[in-house]
Amino acid sequence: MDMDTALLLSILAATVQSGTPILYATLGEMFTERSGVLNLGVEGMMIVGAFTAFLATHLTGNPWAGVLAAGLCGGGLSLLHGVVCLVFQGNQVVSGLALTILGLGLADFLGTPYVGITTTGFQAFAVPVLADIPVLGTIFFRHDALVYLSYLLPPLFWLFMARTRAGLALRAAGEHPAAASAAGLSPVRIRWCGIFTGGFLAGLGGAYLSLAYTHLWTNNMTSGRGWIAVALVIFAFWRPGRAVFGAYLFGGVMALQLRLQAMGANLPSSLMLMLPYALTVLVLLASSARGGGRAAPAALGVNIEPEE
Amino acid sequence: MSDTPHTHAAVAPETPRRAREAHAHLPPVVRLDGICKSFGKVRANHDITLDIRPGCIKALLGENGAGKSTLMSILAGKLRQDSGSIIVDGTPTVFASPRDALRAGIGMVYQHFMLVDSMTVAENVLLGQSPHMLLRPARMRDEVAALAERYGLAVEPAARVGGLSMGERQRVEILKLLYRDSRVLILDEPTAVLTPRETDQLFEAMWRMADQGKALVFISHKLQEVLTVADEIAILRRGEVVDEFSEADVPNQTVLANRMVGRDVVLQVDAKRLAPVDTVLSVEHLSGPGLSDVSLTVRRGEIVAIAGVAGNGQKELVEAICGLARPEAGEVRILGRPWREFFAGPPGRRGLAYIPEDRQGLATCRQLDLVDNFLLTTRNLFAKGVFLDRAEAVNAVKRVVWEYNVQPGDITASARALSGGNLQKLVIGREFFRKPEVIVAENPTQGLDISATEEVWGRLLEARSTAGVLLVTGDLNEALELADRIAVMYRGRFIDVFDKDDAAKVQAIGLMMAGVRPDEPDEPDEADKAGEPDEADKAGEPDELGDPDQKDEAETPA
Repeated sequence: MDMDTALLLSILAATVQSGTPILYATLGEMFTERSGVLNLGVEGMMIVGAFTAFLATHLTGNPWAGVLAAGLCGGGLSLLHGVVCLVFQGNQVVSGLALTILGLGLADFLGTPYVGITTTGFQAFAVPVLADIPVLGTIFFRHDALVYLSYLLPPLFWLFMARTRAGLALRAAGEHPAAASAAGLSPVRIRWCGIFTGGFLAGLGGAYLSLAYTHLWTNNMTSGRGWIAVALVIFAFWRPGRAVFGAYLFGGVMALQLRLQAMGANLPSSLMLMLPYALTVLVLLASSARGGGRAAPAALGVNIEPEE
Repeated sequence: MSDTPHTHAAVAPETPRRAREAHAHLPPVVRLDGICKSFGKVRANHDITLDIRPGCIKALLGENGAGKSTLMSILAGKLRQDSGSIIVDGTPTVFASPRDALRAGIGMVYQHFMLVDSMTVAENVLLGQSPHMLLRPARMRDEVAALAERYGLAVEPAARVGGLSMGERQRVEILKLLYRDSRVLILDEPTAVLTPRETDQLFEAMWRMADQGKALVFISHKLQEVLTVADEIAILRRGEVVDEFSEADVPNQTVLANRMVGRDVVLQVDAKRLAPVDTVLSVEHLSGPGLSDVSLTVRRGEIVAIAGVAGNGQKELVEAICGLARPEAGEVRILGRPWREFFAGPPGRRGLAYIPEDRQGLATCRQLDLVDNFLLTTRNLFAKGVFLDRAEAVNAVKRVVWEYNVQPGDITASARALSGGNLQKLVIGREFFRKPEVIVAENPTQGLDISATEEVWGRLLEARSTAGVLLVTGDLNEALELADRIAVMYRGRFIDVFDKDDAAKVQAIGLMMAGVRPDEPDEPDEADKAGEPDEADKAGEPDELGDPDQKDEAETPA
């Protein structure tokens, strides 16, 4: 295997790694939005997830405890959004923004004493048999448990939405809550589930950052990945398959940017750091030009007025 | 469960009902006993007692605001009564939510359909109903198809609801209830959105459901339809049941109408013809989204009605004429001036008045008071430089409110305090205040009660002396009463434009509204009359308005 191929493979493998947290967060936000709730607090839930995952692992020594804590705390934070939007019919955009600010502030405040401390976290292991497949094995099957877990999510997401009773109900709550209500369902309860699940997955995305992508805690470790996830939901037209593509696209740009810096490419590093975010803007432009907004759940962002 | 398959099928093939007596001996499924309901000071229902029996179509007849919908919303669990009880199968029952009512077998088809456009028919029917965790699309489709077949409600189970016609959507709503084994089906003004042909199909399905033991409640203010379809008629007026008739003792239409409004109403107006003068509006070969090659002239002194089912291009035509959308191809001339020139100048002094259908959204601002609402289109008449002469406007509004009998007449109240009829009177008063020469009125009496309708009709007829009127209406009766000429619109084009005195064409309006030209009855299944429902004419064929392009499957996996 020559140098160039090896480099390419390592960049692709790194693509999967840096795409994974975005994939978790994107699928989470997509889940929430399919239930009709726009939660712009992804960045906040992610960073809280990243911190609690680190902390729980640091305290217990078990990374799975960290993952669970991250999910629960991300989900718990999202419930705040639920209280604002589902109980008090507050503005979803404002509430989501507030959640992001709150989450970033909380993580910063609580995490300062732990900055720079390392933890065990997840280690990469090769999946028997699959890892030996040429090319694909190197790219996809020499990672850690959280990456493998993320492979299962998109098909599960699709199966849930298209083929289960609960998925049908969730879609109805996002498209036409009054119709769901008339069918004897409780769209408010469904949206609670949608919000919590989304927060849980965003928390897992954060956990990946502190337990697998790095093995330490630093401030602002999400650095805008939550916002990228929000944009990717639109880019993906609310479809899990496209979310995978989008997440790895961004992961690829991030990995490439890191690699270029490491190789000492003759480009200002700030310019390269900008790449993923510039891509976000382009992606949003492209998807709105293609009419992506029309694929949105019809009642996205619209609160359910309490019945008399 | 009274849902027994009937065994009297072949008794009398010439009548639409085959098993009317089959369920006559059964006790009522539901009895409403002394229902009272008030909203603030308004008494919506007062001491209403009604029996709803299996196998029987009960019509609730009444004007807008008579309390029909309130009563049925109580029965369907959407509202709670202040006093009185709902007795289901002899047991007093309390419904905390529509869910409770559904569980008790009582379901309602609302005027605004509760359907998810992006889902298929089968998914909508099984929403919240599937007994399994995992869905099996093929089986869902088969189940829905079988149910549709059984009740004669033709609709393609795999089609997406967003691509269906209004009639088909309504069938989906009914299927939803039937799937739940509902025993009482409440249809709230179901014919408002249907073509005459779809109405016939609905009536046939209703008879079929009644024959199979369902109890149906048909809410309507259309006498003719009530007389056609109902077994029993209850008349509501001001929240009370003033009369109940069974099939045998139903009086004629005039008596029913009188009972309904409580005084003699002349449903016919005196529309003496005026001699038309100059052309004030001409549309030539207008095409664009939703419109193809529409030509029309309106002269001062006449009312030209555009009849047709909503959504066949009327909105697009009105928007082009009223300057809301640029005509794409063809020409629109208003008062002799081309479109672009006419709408280039400042509004207000233009001489074109638009009375939109959406009087709460487009014609007025809910939060503003009557004076500000009045000024929305008349402000140029009160302008003094950059300032408005509000005192002058207040006087004008007071005059209009008095002259048009707008109730309550408090001009400082916000527009939302007015009922639909009174708001409409204000809008008409405002538009006529500008002394328009072209008037475009879009369903001006939709949702109004009979007395308000009469008033609006009178105003429009009066306006002919100085203006030409284009009346867009979904109400055939309105077109026939007011218009001098009638254009029937279907899928963006005029099927025909003819004089009201052309009896043969007037007879065929129903067919034209379904897109059939009377002189070329090429489709044999379309040729049967739209008047009386016909047993041979099964509601079998899928509706031509359905969109076959919408059948792609749901999302695909990664």
